[in-house]
Amino acid sequence: MPELTYREAVRDALSQAMRQDDDVFVMGEDIAEMGGSMGVTHGMLDEFGPERVRNTPISEMALAGAAIGAALQGMRPVAEVMYEDFMTLASEQIVNQAAKHRYMSGGQLTVPVVFRTQGGAGWSPGAQHAQQLEAWFVHIPGLKVVFASTPEDVRGLLWSSIYDDNPVVFFEHRTLYPLKGEVPDEIEPIPLGKARVHREGEDVTVIATGRLVHESLKAAAEAEKEGVSVEVVDPRTLQPLDEEALVASVKKTNRAVVAHEAVTRMGYGAEVAAVLQYQAFDWLDAPIERVGAKFSPLPFAPVMEQFVVPHADDVLAAIYRTVNKKA
Amino acid sequence: MAKVEHRTSLAKSDLPDVLREMLLIRRFEEKVEERFRAGELPGFLHVAIGQEACAVGVCRALEDGDVIASTHRAHGHTLAKGTHPNELMAELYGRQEGCSHGYGGSMHLYDVERGNMGANAVVGGGLPQIAGAALAFKLRGEPRVAVAFFGDGATNIGTFHEALNLAQLWQVPAVFVLEDNHWAESTPESQHSPIRDLSDRAKAFGMKALKADGQDVEAVYKTARKALDHARSGEGPVFVHLDCVRLHGHYIGDPQVYRDKDEARRLAETRDPIALLREKVGLSDADFEEMDAEVTEIVEASVEFAKNGTEPAPEDALKNIYA
Amino acid sequence: MATQVILPRLGQGMESGTIVKWLKSEGERVEKGEPLFELDTDKVTQEVEAETSGVLLRIAVAEGEVPVGETVAFIGEEGEDVPAASARGDAPAKAEAEPEPEPGPEREQAPEAAAESEPAQRDDFRAAISNGRVKASPLARRIARERGVDLRAVRGTGPDGRIVAEDVERAEAGAAPAAAPAPAAPAGPPAEVESRPLSNVRKTIARRLTQAWTVPAFMLTVQIDMTRANALVAGQRELHPDVRITLTDLLTKLSAQALMRHPDMNVQFAGDALLAFPSADVGIAVAAPAGLVVPVVRGAERLTIAQIAQVRADLVGRARDGKLRAEDLDGGTFTISNLGMYDVDQFVAVLNPPQASILAVGAARDTVVPRNGELEIVPLLTVTLTCDHRAVDGAVGAEFLKTLKAFLEDPGLAL
Repeated sequence: MPELTYREAVRDALSQAMRQDDDVFVMGEDIAEMGGSMGVTHGMLDEFGPERVRNTPISEMALAGAAIGAALQGMRPVAEVMYEDFMTLASEQIVNQAAKHRYMSGGQLTVPVVFRTQGGAGWSPGAQHAQQLEAWFVHIPGLKVVFASTPEDVRGLLWSSIYDDNPVVFFEHRTLYPLKGEVPDEIEPIPLGKARVHREGEDVTVIATGRLVHESLKAAAEAEKEGVSVEVVDPRTLQPLDEEALVASVKKTNRAVVAHEAVTRMGYGAEVAAVLQYQAFDWLDAPIERVGAKFSPLPFAPVMEQFVVPHADDVLAAIYRTVNKKA
Repeated sequence: MAKVEHRTSLAKSDLPDVLREMLLIRRFEEKVEERFRAGELPGFLHVAIGQEACAVGVCRALEDGDVIASTHRAHGHTLAKGTHPNELMAELYGRQEGCSHGYGGSMHLYDVERGNMGANAVVGGGLPQIAGAALAFKLRGEPRVAVAFFGDGATNIGTFHEALNLAQLWQVPAVFVLEDNHWAESTPESQHSPIRDLSDRAKAFGMKALKADGQDVEAVYKTARKALDHARSGEGPVFVHLDCVRLHGHYIGDPQVYRDKDEARRLAETRDPIALLREKVGLSDADFEEMDAEVTEIVEASVEFAKNGTEPAPEDALKNIYA
Repeated sequence: MATQVILPRLGQGMESGTIVKWLKSEGERVEKGEPLFELDTDKVTQEVEAETSGVLLRIAVAEGEVPVGETVAFIGEEGEDVPAASARGDAPAKAEAEPEPEPGPEREQAPEAAAESEPAQRDDFRAAISNGRVKASPLARRIARERGVDLRAVRGTGPDGRIVAEDVERAEAGAAPAAAPAPAAPAGPPAEVESRPLSNVRKTIARRLTQAWTVPAFMLTVQIDMTRANALVAGQRELHPDVRITLTDLLTKLSAQALMRHPDMNVQFAGDALLAFPSADVGIAVAAPAGLVVPVVRGAERLTIAQIAQVRADLVGRARDGKLRAEDLDGGTFTISNLGMYDVDQFVAVLNPPQASILAVGAARDTVVPRNGELEIVPLLTVTLTCDHRAVDGAVGAEFLKTLKAFLEDPGLAL
């Protein structure tokens, strides 16, 4: 199996879709000559030309809206919103328009558009360039929301997102772009709404997304040394959520930790915890633990930034709390 | 896809038909006002009484395959784009037979088959999507044009500026139709815009701008035709500025405390597009009454159709959320 | 704070109960242990006692079906405020789209008053008892509920002394099952069964018997010479003139002895396991006014015939009065259904799952039988044993029946 970085895997999905299908094109700020601020579309201009690797002005509402308009005419645009923080600018078009057209038209329209965006702390950009805003979008009926954590997943999920007839908000994590991983020779579409068990365990289930999948795997390895067996599950698609897989895992282990980089309070993990307590109440042997960022904007100074966002140690501590073990 | 006939102006012989269409829209909206006041229609409704010439003039100029995005004041655009009054009225009554199957309502009228990509209740909300639809036509090499309707109030919102900028930058086949009735809800233009000629907004983007009297349907048609030809030929988007009047309030039931009582009366006497066209056509009282009776009957029938329509099941609310 | 009166779970598998009537009125003083209301469960109608003393401030559910764990009343001090919101509102609503393969969240009866009255030796476990509520994880509660473990007697090792699943399992492995709660003092008139033709009892009978009918069963019939058995009963009556000893008591005793000899018969069928019982708990089918009930004589192998007669008389009496408690009906592996007094010769009884077998007893008939070349008249009893074939094989049933016949024909063998 070939090895790709997470960045290359995203590019591969985009390029392969564009090669086989004239209706697929990408648009976004600085994505052409510059190859995108994260280098994801690097080299694609040469292959596909400026019409299909389309630079846009710094104009998120128009960028998002134009992608929606093209999708309403049957194309499958992939719009890159440079930072998740800027999704707030695009969100009128995503929330009021993309998510609602099918509904308001009584089923006449489909909106096959993907909004790719990325975020994530760990490089001290301060408060406006690294937020994790997935909780904003999972709350909107009509949107699907994906957050991939490995090269294989990001490629297979992006492929499925491009070919889904619904608007998909596709989150990537900045610090994962250099991550290498094996991918199948051919793209294998990963159905939206299917979780992935990264590691099986008996005592605690950690449900993690994005970077926290990797932090949780580190924590699980540590816990194992202490005799605590940890299962790590990545929902991968946040909406629709694979409740069945999460509940099954927790019914097996009787304990759960939900981990994401976004702010804990009112976060995505709260919904996961609610699903678990309702569907697996009689199987829970400990309160569900949540791991996420402290309730703070992201600070600039590296020591403060590291303090605010969660790491493997935080996941490990939460794991130990569920089994009442001193760290 | 292109029409067989291709005219740059309306033929004299077409004018009675145009008048009839405008009168149908007028009677339809008067009926909507009446039924709303009677408590039969739910929701938030806005009529475009006085602006019929804009809707009919522009839509008459469209080719099959062209698409429009409308506003919260959408009944006229929807009828002019070819949706049957029955389907429109059924939508206003929240019936399954409605043009949005009861999911949309007055502010979200769709008829995708007829190129109506939807009325939008967020002011300016449809404009970027019209730029995007036009981009799709351009990328696919299709001779189609995407048309956005919006009012003067929308010229202050970000989507307007971003969409015009993008459309002009990319030279996509879009036409932006400003129906300038000089009111943003209750706020007069003098309070919402620092410039007096809103065509200047388009000029800021280097976009071709055309102006017409929005109460004169012939002028509207001619201007729209010109704009559409320009866009269709790949020469870039066009801004069409129609100077028009809103004879009624912002919404049905609006007491219009902000407006001089005599203004609407004066405008109704001097600038009613239907009266102006009737005079031009030279229709006799008898002929006009006959036409009126005919469209009134259609409107009455649409109410009957809507009332006899099927109410959706409450749980239908959970359908059509995802494809 | 007023104390909530919660609809208690009174037996395994009980999900709800129907409040028949209140025995106290709002504003009335009630002492802990006094009967508070009458509850119709799917097994019995019984009185539920107050678990705390005070004034019955408010009755939240006057009558009707209530899920276990729901607040039905408040007891507190005169003039105390009670929550205004309906007690029924706190059950979580089920989301429409949610699949529902598992039963919804169940609540445990909060043993507030009981916990407070625990003797001093329970002090060790106080960590897990907070404000009168045992602190235990939902999983621990479920396991305790399923296995009949009293959480008040379990030491919690979780955070803040919370009882977790492992603690329950440890307690169950190490300790004898918790003692059954003290019996309720009988009080108040019996329920008006006639006015409730679709009582839960009747519904349960219908449901259980329909279930039972689907069990693959086989029947074995033998005839038993009752000469010596009848003499033994007569002798016992002379010995205990104040106890009314019947043939059923002897059958109970000897069946229990036979069950102890054939442990493979002394089982319940539990789906994916057979539950083998250490003692012989024998059910006795009783035709109560509200319908058939099967109270259980526990440890019958250790009781004398006279003791069995006393226990039976109590159970039958309470069954007829509708005063059986849930624990009177739980358990058992084997039931005796005696229709001899109705002059029935012979019949086949329907199983009482999860019990593995049931014995149908007819009337003894004087019958001419050839014996040693001569004709003798002996009282012959026909019994038919119905066995759950999933739990018991034919040979096992036949062996058991052979032993029972031998015991009845020569009771000395049972010693």
